[in-house]
Amino acid sequence: MSLVPGVIKGLAVTLGEARKTVFPDGLRKPPAPSKGAVTVQYPRQKEDPTPRARGVIALHEENCTACMLCARECPDWCIYIEAHKYLAPPRREGGKPRQRNELDRFDIDFSLCMFCGICVEVCPFEALFWSPEFEYSEPRIADLLHDKGRLADWMTTVPDFEPYEAGAEVKVKKIPR
Amino acid sequence: MTAVTERQQLAYIANQAADMRVNVELETEGMTLNIGPQHPATHGTLRIIVKLDGEQVVAADPVPGYMHRGYEKLAEVRTYPQVTTLVNRIDWLGSFANEVPFILAAERLMEVEAPPRAQWIRTILFELSRIGNIALFLGDMAVQLGAVTPVFYAFRDREYVLNQIEAITGGRFHPNFDRIGGLKDDIPKGWVAETKGVLTKMRAFCDELDELLVGNEIFTARTRGVGVIPPEVGLSYGLSGANLRASGIDWDHRRDSPCGLVYDKLDWKVWTHPDGDSFARYWVRLQETREAILMLEQLLDGIPSGPIMAKVPRIIKVPAGEAYVATENPLGEMGYYVVSKGDLVPFRVKIRSASFNNISIVPWVLRGVYVPDVITILASLYFILGDIDR
Repeated sequence: MSLVPGVIKGLAVTLGEARKTVFPDGLRKPPAPSKGAVTVQYPRQKEDPTPRARGVIALHEENCTACMLCARECPDWCIYIEAHKYLAPPRREGGKPRQRNELDRFDIDFSLCMFCGICVEVCPFEALFWSPEFEYSEPRIADLLHDKGRLADWMTTVPDFEPYEAGAEVKVKKIPR
Repeated sequence: MTAVTERQQLAYIANQAADMRVNVELETEGMTLNIGPQHPATHGTLRIIVKLDGEQVVAADPVPGYMHRGYEKLAEVRTYPQVTTLVNRIDWLGSFANEVPFILAAERLMEVEAPPRAQWIRTILFELSRIGNIALFLGDMAVQLGAVTPVFYAFRDREYVLNQIEAITGGRFHPNFDRIGGLKDDIPKGWVAETKGVLTKMRAFCDELDELLVGNEIFTARTRGVGVIPPEVGLSYGLSGANLRASGIDWDHRRDSPCGLVYDKLDWKVWTHPDGDSFARYWVRLQETREAILMLEQLLDGIPSGPIMAKVPRIIKVPAGEAYVATENPLGEMGYYVVSKGDLVPFRVKIRSASFNNISIVPWVLRGVYVPDVITILASLYFILGDIDR
């Protein structure tokens, strides 16, 4: 047993923490609790989410070929895709017209989405990306179904991929803009 | 003949009272008390039916299942990559640790091994989620005793750990980062240096709690000698993790069966405590957090370079067979028994989660204790409701 009772030691710890919060620059400077506090006054102040944060899924519509891989791999099947085929004009003159898929509907129901990221990962044509944006709550649950126009709007908020730590062999991908 | 201390005598009387269901001193009427399913002291929706005789517990009966989500059945209709996103939600405080045993079991069936870099990063994330999980326990235990301050420190400092997990995986609580044959992505630049800064903060947090609680007379009086689990009882009830190590049994999956993770390349030790009471369980977990910080320092310095993904087919079909892999999760032994019939989906997944076995000792350990100690003992056993009900 030490000479100082543990209760007093504990109080000293609490006081030390309070001092660090209220006087982050030292006791001689004026108190600045908003600087010392770790909390953020949310609607007025905002924390920066990390670039990898999984906030909302963005769609780059030009890359999507309606291959349905994302809709099939989704664990709770919350992606709805409809598409039709059409004949695009040939790339070179005199060539054959190409058969293309055009999206009619690409909806993600964010009220069902588990934010696992499997759809983004399995997309072979790099049409889906994660955006760290998180402020899209709605008063009506039906409004959480984002159609392809709304998903395409999120593309502007997608950050670039970060470079990797030393020793990594993965190449940094680029985001189509 | 050995001398019988007063405490042993009292414990004997209490046990007798519990057995006979009468109080030897007062002829009082029994009373049934429901703790939970919704109660601030039950960590979620666990209901404990406690039969009281005066202030003493005669019988306690935990009723799990209020949050049963049927993951074992759900896993039978999900492909292997989809299962990891489900099992994240079992123990939601240390969720990366839930994925690892399942992935290791699937890897064992497929006979692939993750490259060394992936194994190291896996171990780093495993230990980070352990710190994030146990840090909350260290504060939460004090709340159950009536001290409110430590839990705020715990929530504050756990956030640093969660930020690091988010920076690498993209999710604070549900990383879904482990893949069969490796990892989803590599570490972003500057992450290792930032994590070292976080480890300094977490070490200060451990020291702070050491001064705040472990030396505190009230804390010691409320936890020492309360809820003693003798080693043989702990073993027979299938306890695991820190609950078992606090009873003096030196058993740790990280050291004894380090499959797929790199614990055998690190210099660390397993902490045990001979007492087996609530204090011992708290102390062992505090030391484990410190040991995890020590391990992480070695891990962060020695990440090998190389690929993070082994050669795995794009559509994963696991060959027929059975495998059981268990790892030492923050709460104890967590294992998956995966049966595959060579299909896209597992035929059967049995989840052995630590908390379910840990609360099975509740009827034994709560017999004869007083009502305020019920909450202390439940808190010190440290279960997470998602881990019980899954």
